Amino acid sequence: MAHADTTVAKPAILAEVKPASLPRAELVENNRSFAWVTDKICGIIEGKTPTWWWVCFTLACALASFTVMGIVYLVSAGVGVWGLANPVNWGWAIVNFVFWIGIGHAGTLISAILCLLRQKWRTSINRAAEAMTIFAVVCAGIFPVFHVGRVWFAWFLFPIPNANGIWQNFRSPLEWDVFAVSTYGTVSVLFWYVGLIPDLAVLRDRFNRAGNKLRATLYGIFAMGWRGSNRNWSNYEMAYLILAGVSTPLVLSVHTIVSFDFAISLLPGWHTTIFPPYFVAGAIFSGFGMVLTLMLPLRAIYKMEDLITQYHIDCMCKIVLATGTIVGYAYGMEFFIAWYGANPYEGFAFINRAFGNYAWAYWIMIACNVITPQFFWFKKVRQNTAFVWVLSIFVNVGMWFERFVITVTSLARDFLPSSWGYYSPTIVDIMTFFGTFGVFSVLFLLFIRFLPVMPMAEIKAVMPQADPHAGHDHH
Amino acid sequence: MSTHAATASSSLPAETAAPAGASKALVVGIVGILLTAAGLFVPGNGKVIALTWLVGLSFWVAIAIGMLLLVMIHHIFDASWSVVLRRQFEHGLSAFKWLGLLFVPLLVATWVKPGSVWKWTNLDYQLHGHGTVGEDILYVKKAAFLNPTMLTVMTVAFFGLWMFLSARLRKASFTQDTDGDIKWTFHNRVTAAAGLFFTALTLTAASIYWIKSLEYHWFSTMYGVWFFANCARGALAIGVLVLLWLYARGDLKGILNTNHMHSVGQLVFAFTVFWAYISFSQYFLIWGANIPEETFWYNLREINADGFANQWKWVGMALLFGHFLFPFLYLLSYKNKIIHSRIKFIVICILATILLDMCYNILPALKDAHGDAKPFLSLNLLWVATSVIGIGGVCVWSYLRSFATTKLIPIRDPRIGECLTHHE
Repeated sequence: MAHADTTVAKPAILAEVKPASLPRAELVENNRSFAWVTDKICGIIEGKTPTWWWVCFTLACALASFTVMGIVYLVSAGVGVWGLANPVNWGWAIVNFVFWIGIGHAGTLISAILCLLRQKWRTSINRAAEAMTIFAVVCAGIFPVFHVGRVWFAWFLFPIPNANGIWQNFRSPLEWDVFAVSTYGTVSVLFWYVGLIPDLAVLRDRFNRAGNKLRATLYGIFAMGWRGSNRNWSNYEMAYLILAGVSTPLVLSVHTIVSFDFAISLLPGWHTTIFPPYFVAGAIFSGFGMVLTLMLPLRAIYKMEDLITQYHIDCMCKIVLATGTIVGYAYGMEFFIAWYGANPYEGFAFINRAFGNYAWAYWIMIACNVITPQFFWFKKVRQNTAFVWVLSIFVNVGMWFERFVITVTSLARDFLPSSWGYYSPTIVDIMTFFGTFGVFSVLFLLFIRFLPVMPMAEIKAVMPQADPHAGHDHH
Repeated sequence: MSTHAATASSSLPAETAAPAGASKALVVGIVGILLTAAGLFVPGNGKVIALTWLVGLSFWVAIAIGMLLLVMIHHIFDASWSVVLRRQFEHGLSAFKWLGLLFVPLLVATWVKPGSVWKWTNLDYQLHGHGTVGEDILYVKKAAFLNPTMLTVMTVAFFGLWMFLSARLRKASFTQDTDGDIKWTFHNRVTAAAGLFFTALTLTAASIYWIKSLEYHWFSTMYGVWFFANCARGALAIGVLVLLWLYARGDLKGILNTNHMHSVGQLVFAFTVFWAYISFSQYFLIWGANIPEETFWYNLREINADGFANQWKWVGMALLFGHFLFPFLYLLSYKNKIIHSRIKFIVICILATILLDMCYNILPALKDAHGDAKPFLSLNLLWVATSVIGIGGVCVWSYLRSFATTKLIPIRDPRIGECLTHHE
């Protein structure tokens, strides 16, 4: 049982070790104290509700009402109010579903996988990204649930014995989606909530001291009696690590199964073996795009440049660049194999994507998902926050178009030319989809207002003051 | 950290001794190559030797590509714990030029005797019941890509790129040992950023040309990713063996700690899952769609024309259990990642199953008169062994030659201090 250990005599070569100097970037800049971090993050919740928040919240509610109206109309009139018609039986509904699920990917990815990889920079963005995940899953869920038509029978999707003796078709990837997404949603909420507990206790204590008993009680209930004892922290760390371990395969499985919705079929443009990792890469890409879209304004409004530093932005931009390039690889590989495979239907599907009726959508997708991220090769671009924000919007737009291109171009030109058509969404489709941005924004604004947007305890753990060596070179 | 390192005890020899096994490795390599070449004198054995040589080359080239990728990934991530491991990979990269040279016989065979390796290099090659390759519409459609000229040019380009990137990465890293200039770190980051992109493209194209095109009717967009997974796993497995060997020699005593083994073990675990994910996705989607132009590739590896299972079915099962389930369960354990004898055992298993995976992908191209894949358990395995040992001997020789020329660890790397004190 030989172990590599450090108790033996050191080899002579260690005497020659003189590392070149390249200091690591600070994760909290300007030598801020623990108290400053607490005040800064709690201050967002404790302070007076800013005017911009009310303006945004009102607008978001108004926008969300579009989804509500769209759904009410759909339930009363039937699914026909969406622009679905043979052969495009899947239109904006599945596009929007995959779009939001993809965005829902980054939160758990940042929290779980970056946690397992010990990437300390995650601490400033993981809380908001996890919140984003949950809200995105809520938005995603709206579409398949109402697409079933008689939504009051949606519970038939679960394998619960029912009066009609219906048993679910477990061979359908749509049924797998039910389990994948609901499990993912549940674990994401748990993960988010467990991470929140120590910070909720901080808020409880601060409101107690401020004499705000109502809020102290509410935060106290959700803090579940947290006292910050060693025992509390020990259990917390273990629970967090286990949830990170459980979440990691879930992150990958959800979008893999979403990719199966398409790839398990025989339709040209859908049935291709690279879909699972390609969808996962695309989801990470879009998720980080949305994190940038949300966090950059938040950073500017609350002047949190010391917490979300240029290093954080650099890291996110580089992940967007890497995943965007992987997505570009997948686009290229699909196109190449469509030619290499010499299947005329497959070849036509891709030629039609690039040069057919929907070429405009295809080239928007290419421009946004493959070309846009390449700007992030340049440091100057990454340092221009406004430009990064604009590029992140392009990423979001591009990823919606990717799902549109995959879904609609293949269906609109299926095996039977006599049934070919041109799919267009109805006003109900459009309203319902854009309304989900309102739903998402309402939830995110409430999150900003009532919950700590950053994990205070975790941020403090990566600050120099938390290092027991306190900056001295001893190990 | 540097202070700590500089004050360390100097009780062990001042400099790493150059391993004495280099010449032995070369002798083993040459013997293996000669034995494989001797197989050419067995009547009708030409294609067997060509494909078993391809198995050996694919195995070692995959490992070398994996090392190249991991070195570049190290730089792009500004990683610290893997600095010591990275130096060993840098030595491994020296093998590319020899691997390129050892590929030449396959290219020569392609030009001298078309169809002797890849059937599509001979337009008059007789297909089972489908006329010739030249008459096959599925070949004609892709003739612009699959032809001897393109194969030669692309193969030269692949090795040229890998050698170029390797030379840049090695030079910068080794030079930093002497001048300690931080510019070499940035130099390697730039090389890695561009290099990863081009290496991903070339390894994909190489896997299509060399392996997938053996059955040129078949196609799968996942194939390059499958090859990548084996590249990374193979490199990590060899990396673990090298670390353990250096530790056993005493070179890395006091340098390599339990946390290094844990971290590298976790990476082996991660790529075990990744390989399974990729291989399962490819198999599952083809099985689910059940269309003959895709399923025939797996059918060839499962049943003969008479409907009975062939030996390749059990090779597939061995891959499922040996390449995924067993190492997956085994590597879940913390102790199995840090106890030297245990992790050595599993990485040897992984290397064996990577070789099996290469056999699974390449050797069924050897067909009998009915068009069935020739059995796995046959004399062909002897030629696989001589090829792998022959090419491997040359790779080990190349590694050891490079090893003797530089410092054991990158002593001036900006992250070497963090690496030496790597902790959880």
